[in-house]
Amino acid sequence: MALTVLRGGHIVDPATGQDAIGDVWFEDGRIVERPDGRSADKEIDVSGHIVMAGAIDIHSHIAGGNVNTARLLLPELHRAIRARLADTPLSTAKWSSYETGRLYAQMGFTTVVEPAMAPHHALQTHLEFNDVPIIDKGALTVLGNDDFLLGMLRDGEKDGAINDYVAQTVENTRSLGLKCINPGGVEAFKENMRAFGLDDVVPFYGLTSRQIFQSLQKSTQALGIAHPLHLHMNNLGLAGNIDTALATIDAAQGLPLHLAHVQFYAYGKEGKNGFSSAGALFAEKINANPNVSVDVGQVMFSDTVTISSDVLKQFNSLPGAIPKKGAIFDGDANGGGIVPYVYKISNYYNAIQWAAGLELFLLIENPEQVFFTTDHPNGGPFTTYPELFALLMSADLRAQHLARLPAEVLEHTTLPSISREYTLYEIAQMSRSGAAKLFGFVDRGRLSPGAIADIAVYKPGRDVAGMFRRAALVFKDGALVVRDGQVSHYTRGKTLHIRPRYDQQITKRLDSYYDELYGLPRSIFDVPDAALPHKDAFAEVPCRI
Amino acid sequence: METATLDGKAIALGDAYRHAGKILKEAAFPLIAGLGADVAGARAAILLAEQLKGAFDHLASRETLADIDVKRSFGMFTTTANEARLRGDCVVLIGPGLTQAWPGMLERLALAEPPRRGAQAQQPRKVIWVGPDGDEAKAVPGAKVIPASVQELSGVLAAWRARFGGRPVALDAEKITLIDALVETLRNARFGVFVWSASTLDPLAIEMLQALVIELNATTRFTGVHIGGRSGASGVTQTAGWMTGFPPRTGFGRGYPEHDPWRFESSRLVDSGEADAALWISAFDGEKPAWSRADIPLITLAPAQAAPSRGLFIKVGQPGVTHDAVLMGQETGGMTLRRASAPTDAPSVAQAIGAIMAEVSEGAWR
Repeated sequence: MALTVLRGGHIVDPATGQDAIGDVWFEDGRIVERPDGRSADKEIDVSGHIVMAGAIDIHSHIAGGNVNTARLLLPELHRAIRARLADTPLSTAKWSSYETGRLYAQMGFTTVVEPAMAPHHALQTHLEFNDVPIIDKGALTVLGNDDFLLGMLRDGEKDGAINDYVAQTVENTRSLGLKCINPGGVEAFKENMRAFGLDDVVPFYGLTSRQIFQSLQKSTQALGIAHPLHLHMNNLGLAGNIDTALATIDAAQGLPLHLAHVQFYAYGKEGKNGFSSAGALFAEKINANPNVSVDVGQVMFSDTVTISSDVLKQFNSLPGAIPKKGAIFDGDANGGGIVPYVYKISNYYNAIQWAAGLELFLLIENPEQVFFTTDHPNGGPFTTYPELFALLMSADLRAQHLARLPAEVLEHTTLPSISREYTLYEIAQMSRSGAAKLFGFVDRGRLSPGAIADIAVYKPGRDVAGMFRRAALVFKDGALVVRDGQVSHYTRGKTLHIRPRYDQQITKRLDSYYDELYGLPRSIFDVPDAALPHKDAFAEVPCRI
Repeated sequence: METATLDGKAIALGDAYRHAGKILKEAAFPLIAGLGADVAGARAAILLAEQLKGAFDHLASRETLADIDVKRSFGMFTTTANEARLRGDCVVLIGPGLTQAWPGMLERLALAEPPRRGAQAQQPRKVIWVGPDGDEAKAVPGAKVIPASVQELSGVLAAWRARFGGRPVALDAEKITLIDALVETLRNARFGVFVWSASTLDPLAIEMLQALVIELNATTRFTGVHIGGRSGASGVTQTAGWMTGFPPRTGFGRGYPEHDPWRFESSRLVDSGEADAALWISAFDGEKPAWSRADIPLITLAPAQAAPSRGLFIKVGQPGVTHDAVLMGQETGGMTLRRASAPTDAPSVAQAIGAIMAEVSEGAWR
């Protein structure tokens, strides 16, 4: 591929500390040093533009059986309205895997992580990934409500055996690490428990949520998986659940832990509605615990659908569904619940949620400790990121929104008193360098020589959201895929995965377990290369050890 | 057996693909129907339909859409067959022909064995079968059989739901006593499971069943296992879902997908003349199209024994038999790779459509 130089752009690359005018050179899909004695085959003037690495979304529900159920449940949410451009099949088919790739690319995103892949449904997630063009993908494997793990913990098995099981499952499902969703709570729901807290006991296993997630947290570390355990805590969405969040951080015992969509846990019980923002308290706790990273799960006012493997929570949400329908799937471990919802700016509770999320962003000091998600589509679709970035970068814009919220909301959030405005550098820390570090990516989220040439070029203007929505240029693996906010053609991204080491004995043991319990070969759940339409679908990311 | 025929006469495979491409390219609104294929075949077919600005439908869409209609207008509770096997303490089978719709059902649900998990582990499983076919229920020792014809099924479910809600029903006292006892069994289940197939239930009956599930879940846990349609219907529906956002009966006339179960129903499209060419895919068993009109250009992709005497025929292999194929596994509720049991070099649906696509459009995305 031609030696290309992007000339004279404002490079914002926190991984290398750059925040100045400069050039970016790339060739054969990688960023390179400016070569001696060679001139560029292609020179692109990007003066007056911002140049960043391609963005990384660390938590977005873009593929798998639960997402597909949501598509089929809500045809009214995604009627298409325009024909696609040449060479981009199905790119305007709303909510299709193809549109997902196109929309992310147009915003300058080049890597997206689907955070909830059930081990028994991994193949479908990978098949859907295959049909998400342009961007690279990865997934997290969900454990923590599965009988095999809970049985091992109940029986007091050694850490080594548990680590082997975790590693084997991650390898077999071809993921980037581990997610744990309401640990034990989904199993408890099958035994008809309707609420499940950090120290509630899973029936017939004698284990608490605390014990389950601590065990998986330790395994993640022992196996050298770069991404800390990705935890969806108990009591999501409930008034007063800040207590759960604070206790969970204490339970982390200083070990690395990633807390997902924390906005949904930033709730106190103040005020006449018994519902208030505890965002400030939560942020203070996170600032004091550098072992903890979080993504926000910001609520953006929109029509959306909640998709979660926290079946207990989703069952409890059904009465509030808008429109009034939903799907509840009691899967072989977690399963899923799909409940449509509308976040309204005039709704007191939704407005508190919106404010609590922004408080978390603005009061957590380190931009590499907090990530910009909306927990797509749970708090709002990923296409609202540009508006979210604009809100973080402008106190005035936030004030305009605050003026439209129900007045009583202002008494139960500290948001009006916060003047912080994110800089572009901080946006890039959150969406590029920090996100890469969080997954141990050493060659993405940065513009240093050797890195993958995933590059986003933005044209700054008064409309900050517009700038982020329509990247001026996007290069994926060095290929130009977006010009003036439009995808011109598809490329095929990779699916990223890790292969932690383990003792093969566990494979035999798992084979017998499946054979005895289900009367099925465990291989029925595999993700073999032959099942996917294209060769070379995967790219391995090394573990720390 | 010939690999390709035109009006019953052998033609070269390359000529067949060229001819197929010509038929489809010249059509104003081509239909891709049958769609009895694995995931790769469905994927290729949908990309072709999109490229041609035609429509696609599946031969079992009536059944698939009966379940989806309930899901999207009302909601749905489901579980996996394996969770039903391990945890279901009260399994209620609804209607006849379930073992035909899913030959492995009894083995998978292990109804004669007690559940393995939860409060009900190792307790005898309660099995109730409403309106089974002839001897169908005999394979489950101890199953309580409630005779009912297919026509009576929705009335039976309505009576259960009414009595569960404490409402009166216009039945004789003896029947009411029986129904009340049954309703009590449902109420006392710890993890109850309804098993149904939309081949014998209409959407209103399925909604009645799901409404009862919601009401049962007010105090206990209850859910359902639905048996997917024939010829790979569930896998094709999932594939259509992520590719277009919609299940089959979707058209691309405007350059983007529109889903309309009436407008894009294949027999109506052909018989009305709205579709002016059809690609019929039935790779599992060579099932024939249900439309009556025989004057539109027709291309058939099917196994050898299903070669029609009219139109263009291209022989394809059987998914999971002659070639490896990804299918939705009824036994797991998830996609799985079925390895070929008797491999041959017959092209898969995806390969045949790939060759046709190459005639329709150079450099198409695949």
